Amino acid sequence: MRAFQYLGGAALDGVERLGRATLFLYEVVSGSWMLVRRFYLVIEQVYAVGVLTLVIILVSGGFVGLVLGLQGYNTLAKFGAADSLGLLVALSLVRELGPVVTALLFAGRAGSALTAEIGLMKATDQLAGMEMMAVNPVTRVIAPRFFAGIVSMPLLAALFSVVGVLSGHMIGVGLLGVDVGAFWSQMQNGVDFYDDILNGVIKSVVFGVVVTGIAVFEGYDAVPTSEGVSRATNRTVVYSSLAVLGLDFIMTALMF
Amino acid sequence: MIQRKVLEIWVGVFVAAGLFALGTLAFRVGNLATAEVANGYRIEAQFENIGGLKVRSPVTLAGVRIGRVAAIGFDPATYQAVVSMNIDGRYNVIPVDTSASIYTSGLLGEQYVGLEPGGSEEYLKDQGKIQLTQSALVLEKLVGRLFTSFIEKPAADKPASDKK
Amino acid sequence: MTSSVSQAVFNDSTNLVEIRDVHFARGTRPILSDMTLTIPRGKVTVIMGGSGCGKTTVLNLIGGRLRPDRGQVMVDGLSVPDLNIKALYALRKRMGMLFQTGALLTDLSAFENVAFPLREHTRLPEALLRHVVLMKLETVGLRGARDLMPAELSGGMARRVALARAIVMEPMMIMYDEPFTGLDPISKGVIAKLIRELNDALGITSIVVSHDVADTLAISDYAYLLGGGRILAQGTPQALQQSTAADVRQFMQGLPDGPVPYTYPARAYIEDLFDGGSP
Repeated sequence: MRAFQYLGGAALDGVERLGRATLFLYEVVSGSWMLVRRFYLVIEQVYAVGVLTLVIILVSGGFVGLVLGLQGYNTLAKFGAADSLGLLVALSLVRELGPVVTALLFAGRAGSALTAEIGLMKATDQLAGMEMMAVNPVTRVIAPRFFAGIVSMPLLAALFSVVGVLSGHMIGVGLLGVDVGAFWSQMQNGVDFYDDILNGVIKSVVFGVVVTGIAVFEGYDAVPTSEGVSRATNRTVVYSSLAVLGLDFIMTALMF
Repeated sequence: MIQRKVLEIWVGVFVAAGLFALGTLAFRVGNLATAEVANGYRIEAQFENIGGLKVRSPVTLAGVRIGRVAAIGFDPATYQAVVSMNIDGRYNVIPVDTSASIYTSGLLGEQYVGLEPGGSEEYLKDQGKIQLTQSALVLEKLVGRLFTSFIEKPAADKPASDKK
Repeated sequence: MTSSVSQAVFNDSTNLVEIRDVHFARGTRPILSDMTLTIPRGKVTVIMGGSGCGKTTVLNLIGGRLRPDRGQVMVDGLSVPDLNIKALYALRKRMGMLFQTGALLTDLSAFENVAFPLREHTRLPEALLRHVVLMKLETVGLRGARDLMPAELSGGMARRVALARAIVMEPMMIMYDEPFTGLDPISKGVIAKLIRELNDALGITSIVVSHDVADTLAISDYAYLLGGGRILAQGTPQALQQSTAADVRQFMQGLPDGPVPYTYPARAYIEDLFDGGSP
C-alpha cells in the first residue's frame, strides 16, 4: 500500500512540475518580445553561456576527434577501408557526438551555472526585488538566458565537430598515414548536407532549448535556500543529461 | 565585472567562429558545395532497375561529376523507373545518343549514374531524354546467374568428377 | 464599486493603505486571520511581531505579490488583489521596497543598481540619469562608493544603496522589511536616521516591519504588534511601551517566558525520561 502511495505521489508531483515548467516556458517565450528592443541583454548572456563554455568544448572536441581517429583507424584497417576514416570521423561527429557531447558538456558547464545563478538571485530576494520594482524577472532575467542558450548551442556543437574532424585528420593523416585526398574526398562524398549536417544542427538546437529550458526552470523553481539551490543545480545536470540522451534516440530514429 | 567592450568583442568572436564552423561543416566536410548545380538543365532516362540509386546521387561523365539525380519516379505504362537528372549548365554538349548506366563506386560504395557519350552532332537540351540505358547490377541476380551457370555447365559439358 | 470609490475619497485624506478583514493561509496553516490594519499617509508606521507571525506577509499583500484568501487590500484607493498585471506594475512603480538583505543585483555596480529602475522604466538621457543616481546616492551618503560591486559593500552600505534604489523612482511609500537585522549599532543608527529623514523630507509614507523594539519604536509614529496572525496591540510607541497586557509586555521587554511559552509543547518530562528509551 505504501509503495503505491509513494508511486502515486511521485507521479502526481512529476506531472505538476511538468505543468509548471510548461507554463513557465510559455511565459518566457511570450514575454520575450522585449528582447528585440534590448538585444544587449542576450549578448551579455551569450558571453556567460557560450563564450565561457568555449574552452571546454574545444578541448573535448579535440580529444574526441583524436580517439575517433585512432579507434576508427584500427577497425577500418582490418577491412582495408582505412581511406574511409575521414567519413567515419565526420559522420560520427556531425550526426551524434557533436550535438550530444556538446549538450552534455553544456549542461554541466553552462546549465548548472545558470541554475545556480538564478537560484541564488531568488534566494537573495533579487527576483522578488525586481518584481517590486515593477520589472518582470521572467522577461528581464530568464528570457535573455534562455535565448542565449538556444543561440549558443548550435554554434558550440559546430565548433566541436570541426575541431573533432581536424584532430581526426591530424591523427589519421599525420600519424597513421591515411591519404589526405582520400580522407577528405570520402568525407565529402559521404556526408550529406541535408541528411547529416542539417539534422545535426536541428538536434543541437533542440538540445539547446531543452537544456537551457531545464536549467532556467530549475533555477527559478528552486527552494530559495543554499540547500535548495544546490539540489536544483544537481537536478539540472541529471535531468538535462537524461533528456538529451533520450531525445537523441528519438530524433535519430525519426531522422536517419 | 567585465568591460562592456571586451564582452562584445568576445561574443563577436564566438559567434563568428561558430558561424565559420557551420560553414566549414557545410562546404568542407559536407557536400553542399558539390551539391549545387549552377543554372542546370534537366534530362531524363528510364531504367529497368535502379538498384540503390537515390535522389542527389552523382551523375558522371568520364568519371567527372557533372550533375546530380534530381528525382526518381515510376512510369506505370512501361513499368520502368524514371530518373531525372540535373546537369550543370557548363556541360551542355552531351550528344543525344549518349547512354546511361548505373554503377557502383567500389564494391559496396554508393551508386551513381555514369554517362557514356555517343557520336551524334546533336546535343541534349532541357527535358531531353536518354534512350540507351543499362540497369544497375543487382547483386542477388548476379549471384543467382553464377549459381545456375555452375550447376548447368558441369551437367552439360563435363562429368561432375572432373571438378576439383 | 461605489463603496470602493467612496473609500478612495476617504483614503485620500488620511490612510494610504487599508487592509480589511484579511484572511491568508499557506496550505491549511493560517498566517493572517481577520486582520484589519491601516497605514496613515506621510507617517512612519511600524509592524512588529515575533518571527513567523506574518509581518512580511502583510508587506507582500500590499505589494501584490500574494493574494488574500478573503478581505480587502486597498493601496491609494486601488484594490490590489483585483488589479491586472499592468495596473499592478504601475502601482509598484510608486512603491519602494527595501529587502532584508538589500537584494542588490550582484552583477551590477552600486551605481548601476540605483540606475536599474530608471533604465527599466524611463528613457532618461545618460547625463540626466547620472545626476539623478548621484543625487540619490548622496542622500544615503554613498556617492563615493558608486563603483563598488555589491560583494564589496558592507551589510549596512548594501542596505543604504538598496534604499537609494528604492527612492530613485520617487515613490509615494517605502516598505522596509527588517531593515535593522544583522547590522552593527552604527549602521542601525544610520538606517534609522535615513528612514525618519526620508519620511519627513520627501513626505514618503513608511512601513517598517521589524522585531527590533528599541530601534523601530524610536522612529515610529504609530505601531502595530502582531502575534498568531492577529493584531495584539496598536497605538503610539509610548502607549505600547506602557501597556500592561501580558503578551505586549513580554514582547516589548523581551521576557523569555510568558504568553509565548518558553518550552515547546511536550508531554510530562518525567514520563519521557522513564519511557524505556523508545523515541
